[in-house]
Amino acid sequence: MANKFTGIGSESKQLATWYFTFAAILFGAQLLFGLVAAIQYVMPGFLFEVVDFNVARMIHINALVVWMVFAMFGSVYYLLPDETGIETIGIKIGKLLYWIFVAAIVVVVLVYLLVQVGPATETTIWFINEGREYIEAPRWADWGIVVVALGFVANLWLTGMKGNRSGIVTVLMADMIAFAGLYLAGMFFTDSIVMDQYWWWWVIHLWVEATWEVFVGAIAAYGLITMIGASRKVVEMWLWIEVAMLFGSGILGIGHHYFWIGTPEYWWEIGALFSALEPLPLVAMFIHVMYDWGKQQGKQNASGESVSVINNKPAFLWFWMNAFGNFLGAGIWGFFHTLPQVNLYTHGTQFTSAHGHLAFFGAYATILIGMMYIAVQGKNGIKILKHTKSSIWAVSMIVGGVMGMTIALTIAGYVQVLVSRAQMGATWAGYFDGQQGVWFAQAMDWRLLMGVITFLGFVFLVKDLLSTGKNPVHER
Amino acid sequence: MVDPVMIRPEIALDDFLPIFVSSALVLVFGGLYVGIYTAVKVKLINKWTMPLGYVFWMLTAYCLYLMGSLMHVGDFTAKALVVAAVGILLLPHAVYYMQDQVHQQNEH
Repeated sequence: MANKFTGIGSESKQLATWYFTFAAILFGAQLLFGLVAAIQYVMPGFLFEVVDFNVARMIHINALVVWMVFAMFGSVYYLLPDETGIETIGIKIGKLLYWIFVAAIVVVVLVYLLVQVGPATETTIWFINEGREYIEAPRWADWGIVVVALGFVANLWLTGMKGNRSGIVTVLMADMIAFAGLYLAGMFFTDSIVMDQYWWWWVIHLWVEATWEVFVGAIAAYGLITMIGASRKVVEMWLWIEVAMLFGSGILGIGHHYFWIGTPEYWWEIGALFSALEPLPLVAMFIHVMYDWGKQQGKQNASGESVSVINNKPAFLWFWMNAFGNFLGAGIWGFFHTLPQVNLYTHGTQFTSAHGHLAFFGAYATILIGMMYIAVQGKNGIKILKHTKSSIWAVSMIVGGVMGMTIALTIAGYVQVLVSRAQMGATWAGYFDGQQGVWFAQAMDWRLLMGVITFLGFVFLVKDLLSTGKNPVHER
Repeated sequence: MVDPVMIRPEIALDDFLPIFVSSALVLVFGGLYVGIYTAVKVKLINKWTMPLGYVFWMLTAYCLYLMGSLMHVGDFTAKALVVAAVGILLLPHAVYYMQDQVHQQNEH
């Protein structure tokens, strides 16, 4: 039911748009530094000793993680008033924490760019770079992130406890506790690199293949109710099944990261079993979207109205891309190399990179872009948000570009598997020989081209999002 | 100097491509099976396509077998792959049944 907190004027939704705006800026930064790294594969001297490959790659990946976290926080702040029926509690603190978060990220990125390297003492860990892939933020920023995350979780919990606690909100309340808590596993060092990696994977794997996937399930549920009027009971029942399946297969699926880091060999069996099961919830999520869409459209058609049930075409298309992309990127490209017998040859090659690109895009970027469209629709009071030329160009170029990059990286990875691993036995010489072949070099050229296309698609996306408010094509 | 003991099954060079293709096809065929099953059930496509869906599941199971054989998986992993094949077969039935029951309870 509509109330004064759910439409224009809700402070929580206003905060959500701030989060989405900064997320989009970081998304652009991620793509730009990805392009720098891609150019360096083709022209190794590009920006040498200015922004070296390790720096460009670090910013590319960290910006990816952080823009998604920003967009996730934004999504929660956006849906909370709709789901709970009340304004988000502690919204003033939420806004303050937003600015702290933004300031911290800007400082961290500037340090990555301008300082880059520390004295390799505790000073480096605290102020420059903690050195763990994907979560390289220095320790002061780590603690800042913890404070911001705790504030966010407190706002979510207090609002959920006071307002109407729907199934979606309940899942998010539990999921965000795990999301925030798991970050702590990446904040301490041990003397053993094996143990260090063991705990580091708790953050990376259990975020991405457990808590983030559950988050996507909750957001998809909200989106289906909002965009096509799907039955809440059906959607929420389904959400609980997804949570069970995702946690059931995803938590012990962590075993596929423990194959070669020095952990006991029983992880081979655990990793193999649960990794084989991990695609099942992704397949199930795909059914879910199809089921709800088919049912709602069928009901509409049966009533004699042949109009679409979808009230936000671009958002629904991105949500559909999510169901398909999650299955393709996380499912197919993950299943390629998830069993230990073949992972022995593929880990650490461009296969991993291909999987990473398509899985992060398919499973998360798509649905978060969809949420941005839902926020733009709500912010501008639009009844039916339609496709525009820019929205079509954006989705075509971004999806085409990421798919192209993935295929190019897969070909490069295949060359590395054959040359660097199978033929030359993972030796130093094999590593370089694998990268000097013509197939590898051409794959990197194609990856760069497809990266440029992705970036151009991003420009169309930003143009479309910014011009939606004034575009007369949408029904108000 | 003692030669290192080979503890892993080697994969033949020519088998890598079939392994990658068959493992991709596991989910492609699996997705087609699930998609056809669901689409028929929600009346998006004609009923006669349902057997085609089960053909795709058989292809899924074959690809799992092929992939596992070429990789020389051990007994445990072979069983895990069988569980995955049966899981894919049953999943759309279970999910559709549950969704439909909830739908019926809420609309009738």
